[in-house]
Amino acid sequence: MAEELPRNRSQSEQKEELESSVTVIEKQAQRRIFKIIVIGDSNVGKTCLTYRFCSGKFPDKTEATIGVDFRERTIEIDKEQVKLQLWDTAGQERFRKSMVQHYYRNVHAVVFVYDVTKMSSFDSMPSWIEECDRHNLNKDIPRLLVGNKCDMKLRIAVNTNLAQKFADSHSMPLFETSAKDDERANHVDAIFMTLAHKLKSKGLFTGNTGLRIPGTYSIADNMVMYYVCQVTSVCF
Amino acid sequence: MTLIKRQKTMAVNYCVTPVIQALVSCQSMQLTRSPERHKIKLIQKAMDASPVDTRQLKNLAIMWGGLLSDDIRKKAWPKLLGVDVDNIPPKPDKEILYGHRDYNQVVLDVNRTLKRFPPGMEVEHRMSLQDELVDLIMRVLVKHPELHYYQGYHDICVTFLLVAGEDIAFALMEWLSVNHLRDFMDSTMDRTKHILNYLYPIVGKSKPKLRDFMEESEVGSVFSLSWLITWYGHVLDDLRHIVRLYDFFIACHPLMPIYLAAVIVLYREKEILSSECDMCVLHGLLSKIPDNLPFELLIREAGDLFIQYPPTQLANEAIKTYKRKALVVTGKKSIQKYATRRGTGGSWLWRYLVPDVGGGYIKVTAFVVVALLSSAAWNMWAARDW
Repeated sequence: MAEELPRNRSQSEQKEELESSVTVIEKQAQRRIFKIIVIGDSNVGKTCLTYRFCSGKFPDKTEATIGVDFRERTIEIDKEQVKLQLWDTAGQERFRKSMVQHYYRNVHAVVFVYDVTKMSSFDSMPSWIEECDRHNLNKDIPRLLVGNKCDMKLRIAVNTNLAQKFADSHSMPLFETSAKDDERANHVDAIFMTLAHKLKSKGLFTGNTGLRIPGTYSIADNMVMYYVCQVTSVCF
Repeated sequence: MTLIKRQKTMAVNYCVTPVIQALVSCQSMQLTRSPERHKIKLIQKAMDASPVDTRQLKNLAIMWGGLLSDDIRKKAWPKLLGVDVDNIPPKPDKEILYGHRDYNQVVLDVNRTLKRFPPGMEVEHRMSLQDELVDLIMRVLVKHPELHYYQGYHDICVTFLLVAGEDIAFALMEWLSVNHLRDFMDSTMDRTKHILNYLYPIVGKSKPKLRDFMEESEVGSVFSLSWLITWYGHVLDDLRHIVRLYDFFIACHPLMPIYLAAVIVLYREKEILSSECDMCVLHGLLSKIPDNLPFELLIREAGDLFIQYPPTQLANEAIKTYKRKALVVTGKKSIQKYATRRGTGGSWLWRYLVPDVGGGYIKVTAFVVVALLSSAAWNMWAARDW
């Protein structure tokens, strides 16, 4: 008996372990993963935006992104854990043309970034959108336009109305923000949270299998508006 | 520079070195009580020889510790590459430098190079070095209009600038840009992509399961892009590690950085295999190189892999990978030509030590052990045709 007892205990322990590991696997399978690609010209602040969202701070020393960097953050939406995977891409054209295309596959959303102090970065937006379309991205997947570096108020070169018209013409919401400004940290969060809500509410993806269920994206969506209300200087 | 000229340059720089000579110098290394001091003497002797003993200098650059100090590197790097530092062309006018098509991109990247300067450096000093860095890059680009700037080129330039100063760095970068780095500086990145295609075949030869795992994850090879095109300058924090690798790369075949990439992947096998087989997870894991890697060991293993699986042997597999990815380049012929041009064509040492077994998995344990333990074998490896 004395010998059997530990064996029984170990069997029950094993059973518990098995059950708990099954639960973990199930939970992992259920956890939604949203892949978001962040694109735009060189030096518009793609790395800083993604870093701000994933690490909660502005990076001390940023460098040019070479190829593709990857960051992620798990957030909770309606008591469900959702993982956002952000693909931060190089801005130089030569990378865009040959290296980044691999990462357009299976993305659930696209974030276009321009620098509000640099008109040329805004002028490039049509070519970035064209680039997206060329890689056979489902045109129904959510797209966001983000004007970064709003903290540099005296150097703003891209008029908000102009950007708004452009965003409207491509059926995407516009956010003007600053990855650098600590006071706007929640603002950057809200942008990606909005996107996450949008993806979740539309049921665009389930699990991590990459199964895509297309949905239409309307800028008047309640969920988007709900988050936008929490964000100042967001334009629709 | 035309292709033919480039081929000739390659042939001169990777000429066969008599192994006996290397063994003799190696024996003398073993006899000394102070290997480092003795190595400095050997480096000095090789540099002072007339003409410069580049074969010996290459051996010493590859061997344990490389060229040892930045003072030596400043003198030895030009001699290794055959660069004449006494006749460096003067810097063109600023209007010419700053009128170049890539100037704005260069400035954007250099302004963000703060991390690469030693911590504690005064802001003014750093800013003047950044100005020099811009000038250095623009000097090369202006002199060679056929070269296209890529983000990451500045990471290599800053290393040479910090070690050798602007003028010598310019001369070195000019040489490297039309030789070792030439393929990265095409108008497109097709050739760069092709070089990345060597990674999986090299990994697969040593660890087929690891290759299968990575292929299944669809992680691709872009995680190693910055390693390759910046010669690890972008991903390593410690300048000492970076310059040590530069000793190695300058003295070796232009494809050596991709062999080192494969060795780093192989070294991290356990970490990789215990991770989730997922593109994002593996990209996140692999794209960051730990600071505490044993670089001397990895350099030796990269050399071993190069001998076991020279580029010519891998060319067909790289083509397969290339075709599988349906990339658009200039076709099979140019790739084969590339491998032949860059490859060593299976030297006698390679044939002698590692008979061809039809591309199957073969680990030359005996040679690896010998190479790790014996500086003689190491020097023999170093002495071969690069």
